[in-house]
Amino acid sequence: MRKFLLVFGLFAVATLGIAQETVTIRLAGYSGDTPLMQDVLSRFVNGVIPGVQVVWEPITEDYLAFVLRTLSAGTAPDIIYIDLYWAKTVVETGLIQPLDEFMAASPVISRDDLIPVLADAFTFEGKLYAISKDFNSLVIFYNKDMFDAMGVPYPSADDTWATFLDKIARVSNPPEWYGASINPDAARFLPFAFAAGMPFLKEDGMAPFDLPAAKIAADWYTAFNRAGIAATSADIGVGWPGAAFIAEKAAVCIEGGWLIPPIRNENPTLNFGATFLPKVWQGGPRGNYLFTVGYGMPVKPPSGRPDLVFKVIEVLTSPEVQEYILESGHAIPSRKALLDSPFFQQSDPFALATKTVFEATGLPGTVPFTFGDVGGSNYMGVVNEALTLIMQGEASVDEAMDEAAAKLNEKLGG
Amino acid sequence: MRRRSDWVSAFIFLLPLLFTLAIAFLYAFVRTVYFSFTDYNLFKVSQFVGFKNYLTLFKDSYFVLGLVHSLVYAAIVTATQTFLALLLAVVVNQRIRGLTFFRAAYYVPSIASSVAITTIFIWLVNRRGTVNWLLGLLVRYWPLMVTALIITALTQTIQVLWERRHGLPVKAWDPVLLLISLLVGSVTATILGRIGLIRPNPKVEVLIPWLTTRQTFLGIPLPLISIMILNIWTTTPTMMILFLAGLQDIPRELYEVADIDGATPWQKLRYVTVPALRPVMFLVITLGLIGTIQMFDQAAITAGIAPLESVITLAYYVYWAVFGAGTLPKVGMASAAALVLATLTLVVVLLQRKFGFSEKGWYS
Repeated sequence: MRKFLLVFGLFAVATLGIAQETVTIRLAGYSGDTPLMQDVLSRFVNGVIPGVQVVWEPITEDYLAFVLRTLSAGTAPDIIYIDLYWAKTVVETGLIQPLDEFMAASPVISRDDLIPVLADAFTFEGKLYAISKDFNSLVIFYNKDMFDAMGVPYPSADDTWATFLDKIARVSNPPEWYGASINPDAARFLPFAFAAGMPFLKEDGMAPFDLPAAKIAADWYTAFNRAGIAATSADIGVGWPGAAFIAEKAAVCIEGGWLIPPIRNENPTLNFGATFLPKVWQGGPRGNYLFTVGYGMPVKPPSGRPDLVFKVIEVLTSPEVQEYILESGHAIPSRKALLDSPFFQQSDPFALATKTVFEATGLPGTVPFTFGDVGGSNYMGVVNEALTLIMQGEASVDEAMDEAAAKLNEKLGG
Repeated sequence: MRRRSDWVSAFIFLLPLLFTLAIAFLYAFVRTVYFSFTDYNLFKVSQFVGFKNYLTLFKDSYFVLGLVHSLVYAAIVTATQTFLALLLAVVVNQRIRGLTFFRAAYYVPSIASSVAITTIFIWLVNRRGTVNWLLGLLVRYWPLMVTALIITALTQTIQVLWERRHGLPVKAWDPVLLLISLLVGSVTATILGRIGLIRPNPKVEVLIPWLTTRQTFLGIPLPLISIMILNIWTTTPTMMILFLAGLQDIPRELYEVADIDGATPWQKLRYVTVPALRPVMFLVITLGLIGTIQMFDQAAITAGIAPLESVITLAYYVYWAVFGAGTLPKVGMASAAALVLATLTLVVVLLQRKFGFSEKGWYS
């Protein structure tokens, strides 16, 4: 009996010891990432890193609202997604931990491993606040069968605004399919406006939308819908332009690498290609947006173990995990070394499209998708409204863009 | 002594509720009042700024728009839904066949999730949605429809006159005769259409942008009108249930007396039902006003596609000031706006009680 009690006692102490050593780390991300992240966590983290159990928390509400709310209440998870789109706002709270010291001590990752533009994007006042997990940019997706059927050459990297508009007009075949699905969406329009020469703000800090470059871009961007050769996703009866493309209701859409997994899942035999956004004129400039999301850590992670939290971030951004995510077609990794991955040498349309998205990011004219102190919703909201009015013929380009400028100026002043 | 112990036990039973009220309401309210006088963004130390937030609010064009929208919305939606709910309640209070089905069918929009309903509604009012499709049919076929209606009316008149001439006291809207008239009307119109005597209009595509527009009707933005229709449709059934409960309490004798006095159905509604329903009416109008002045969810969902200036309401303004701009939250402004909203709700409800329907029953 005594022996039994002794063994039992030792066992209990041992279990307790193990139990105490296991640290639970909370990782909150977009709910859409759930299948991928659960897969990655079970393969590379849980049961692999000793003493660490990472719990995935999918967030369905507005993510920025979630981060601001939990940071201010002191209940933020250990690892949060930081979208470049609002990174500056969140860093300004002073409650996000700079990662430079952890990185300096890390044998697995250093700043030099990252694609420079991605490291720079998350650097504020010389400090790195998030490690980019993946990135994206915009490309033209086109349906080869529809272009073949209408005898129109595919969109290409040599297209200008004028030749692209012409191709869309010729491939459009309603009600079977539209030439393109284009929404009044600032996140698609602004790269074209920047390419045409519109600055983010005027030199005096005022809204730039009343400048000729902005109006020329708005006139071109809305021309497709006004001419009836493109339709919004709502008019086609789907949720977003990518869905219109997958459903083969539009020959072209302007999206990023995020369109690739849904095509693979919902219409795997779709005969499609991808190319760069058109240039403003022959040999002229071309715009694009760089989208990226990184992993960040609050100043006081609830696990109380910032070292272990960083270790998890290290694993999630390690070459193995990034290669795995790349090959599953989910995202383009942020590590330089992976750019030579054999994945990019494949010739299937999914790998080719991924490669095009990746190459588009490196082209001159690509700017980070970020809005600084102005506030992305403020800036894009007025543009979305203006584009909607122009597309519906409720206002001229001049009226709508002047009004957008006036509205943003009011917000900037207030 | 016994009284005191009663008091103590009552207090103990009330304690859980009082505790939640104190934390979730009183504490939150006091904090909101405090924040409304400060410059605060959730992260920096709050700074006292006096009435600056309130003054800034009334200079902010979006706040003023939200205020106007909320008031207009509350007035129109509350009035319409109260009127419709009363009518529906009176209808489903009759002893008619299939009553349970109608009661359930009318109630369904109220129990479905408001987010789901709003999403379905957005699909219905798309530029190429069902509503515009039906309008397209109406535009195309109205000559035939009008013809059918005229022939129906003519047939009905002839039938009624014929029956009365033969000594049968039929009513003008006799259902059996009406059925025959409708049949005659629609068949004749179809035949006239087929042989080409009456032509439908050329096919047109109705593309009214119900939500993504700045157009207004009588000064009210079209998207807001869409939300009004949606909200009336979903809230009316709840109010109908309240009226139904009230209707069951009205003594039957009152109607019998009215019948003896030779009252028409309208007079019974006007002079018996409505006065007897005063307490319920007060409840329905008050709940309606509070719900409509503080309308948030439909505005928030449609704001994703409709221009902000067309759908912004006070409650949405509060959210937008905190989380909507993509910048650090303007908690001071939002708190001030929230307090204006609370005060406005209280004032409107009190004014209604003073000048409209109060909770006092007619027989008290």
